[in-house]
Amino acid sequence: MARMKFLCDVERCIDCSGCVVACKEGNHVPVGVNRRRVITLNEGKPGEKSISVSCMHCSDAPCIAVCPVDAIYQRDDGIVLVSKKTCIGCGYCFMACPFGAPQFPSSGFFGARGAMDKCTMCAGGPEENFSEEEHKLYGQNRIAEGKVPLCAGMCATRALLAGDADVVADVYRQRVFQRGSGVNAWGWSTAYKKD
Amino acid sequence: MQRRIVFVSLLTLVATGAAAAAVSAQDQFFLSPLTHSVSVYFNKLIGIIAGDWQGYGQLFTFLQGEWFATLFLAVIIVVPLVFLLHYLIVGAKHFDHDGEQILFFSRYARIVHFVAALSFSLLVITGLLMIFGAFFGGGIFIRSARYLHLVSAVVFVVPGLLMFFLWVRDMLPQLHDIKWMLIVGGYLSKKKKPVPAGKFNAGQKMYFWFATVGGAVMAYSGYLIWGFGASLDTVRVYAMVHNILGMGIVAFYLTHVYMSVFAIAGSLESMKTGYKPKEEVDILHSRYNYR
Repeated sequence: MARMKFLCDVERCIDCSGCVVACKEGNHVPVGVNRRRVITLNEGKPGEKSISVSCMHCSDAPCIAVCPVDAIYQRDDGIVLVSKKTCIGCGYCFMACPFGAPQFPSSGFFGARGAMDKCTMCAGGPEENFSEEEHKLYGQNRIAEGKVPLCAGMCATRALLAGDADVVADVYRQRVFQRGSGVNAWGWSTAYKKD
Repeated sequence: MQRRIVFVSLLTLVATGAAAAAVSAQDQFFLSPLTHSVSVYFNKLIGIIAGDWQGYGQLFTFLQGEWFATLFLAVIIVVPLVFLLHYLIVGAKHFDHDGEQILFFSRYARIVHFVAALSFSLLVITGLLMIFGAFFGGGIFIRSARYLHLVSAVVFVVPGLLMFFLWVRDMLPQLHDIKWMLIVGGYLSKKKKPVPAGKFNAGQKMYFWFATVGGAVMAYSGYLIWGFGASLDTVRVYAMVHNILGMGIVAFYLTHVYMSVFAIAGSLESMKTGYKPKEEVDILHSRYNYR
C-alpha cells in the first residue's frame, strides 16, 4: 500500500494561508482550533521562508506512544487518526508532538479540554466512511473519494503537496533539478545580486 | 605639501575602507540568508512550534510511552504483594480493645481526616484509572474520571491544608525516627516490644510529608497540566513530576491503608471514635506523652 505524506515546498510557499482557510472552512473546524497553520521564519528579512505545518503523520508517531487510552492509531497508508469518542482530552499528545499538531477545543467543564482534534489528511475518522457521524466529528473524507486533502488541493503556488509518498517525492525531485533548493535555489541572489 | 599628501592618502584609505565595508555589508545582506542551512531553519521552526522538543519532549514521550504505566502497575502489584506476604508470615498486631482507652484524635482531627481520606482515595483511584485508561477503553468512563480527579483535587486542598497545620509539630522528624526505620517499626517481628515513636511514627511522618507538601506539588503541577497554564516545556516537566511523585504517593497510600485496616487489627476504630487502646499506644507510640 502507498504511504501518504505531506510536503511543503518552502521555495514556493508565499504565506497566503489559503490552506488554513480551506481546511477550516471545508471541515467546519471550530474557532480556536487550527489543524494547519503557516509559520514564517525571518519575517521581513532576507531569507524569509514560510512553511505550512500540520500533522506530519509520522512513522512511529510520538502521540500514539503517549496516549493513555490508545485513542490515536495509524492506518496502513500511514495516516494518523484519532477516535474522538475514546479521547479523554488529557493533552499528552500535544506535549509529545514535535509539530504542535494536536488541538483541543474547550469542552466547558471547568475549562477542560475536549476531545483532541487534528489534521486527518481529510481522511475522516474511525467511523464508517461518508457517514453523518464521521462528517460531524472529523469533517470531509476526501481520501476515500480519491482526492487530495483540501489544503493541498487549493494551494495556488502548488507549494503544498500531498498524496502517495513516491509521487510527491518525484514531483519535488523534479523541481529541485530545475531550480535547485536551499542555498542554490533561484531567489534573492538571482533576482537582486548585481554582478 | 607633505601634510596635504598625508591628508589625501588618509582620506583615500578611509574611503576605500568604507567602500569595502559597504560592499561586504551588501554581500552579507545578500549572502547571509543563503548560508542558512536547512537545519538552521528547521531548528528555528521546531523552537517556535514545539519548544525544546529534543530535550523535554523526547524525554516525556519516552517516559510516558514506555515507563509510567508499567511503573504504576509495578507499584500497585508489588506493594500489596509485599503486604500480603507480611500478613501471612508476620500477621496482624492485636491489642486489647476492652481495656483502658486513650483519646488520640479530637473530633476536629477526625472530621478533617475523613474528608481528606475520601478525596485522597478518589484522587488515587481516578488517577490510576487514567493511567490504565487503555485497559478500560477510554471514552466517557475515563473522561469522567479525569473530571472527578479535578473535583477531588479541589476538595482535598481544604483538609490537606488544615491537616498540615493540625499535625505539623508532631510530624517534625526526630532522632528516634532513625531507630524506628532501622527496625521497620517493629513490624517484622510478632513480639510486642515498645517501638520508638511519638504521637506519630516515622512511617506516618513520611506519608504526612508526601501527602501535604507532595500534595501541594501535585496540586500545582496538576493545575498547570489541566489548563496548559505555562510554556509547553514547563508543562512537560510538570507532567513528568506529577507522574513520578504520583508513584511515591500511591505507594504510601497503599501502605497507609494496609497499616490501618489490616496490619494493626482494629486501628481503624481510632479514626472513627478517636480512642486507641492504652496497650497499643504504649507499644507503637511509646514516646507519646498522653498524660
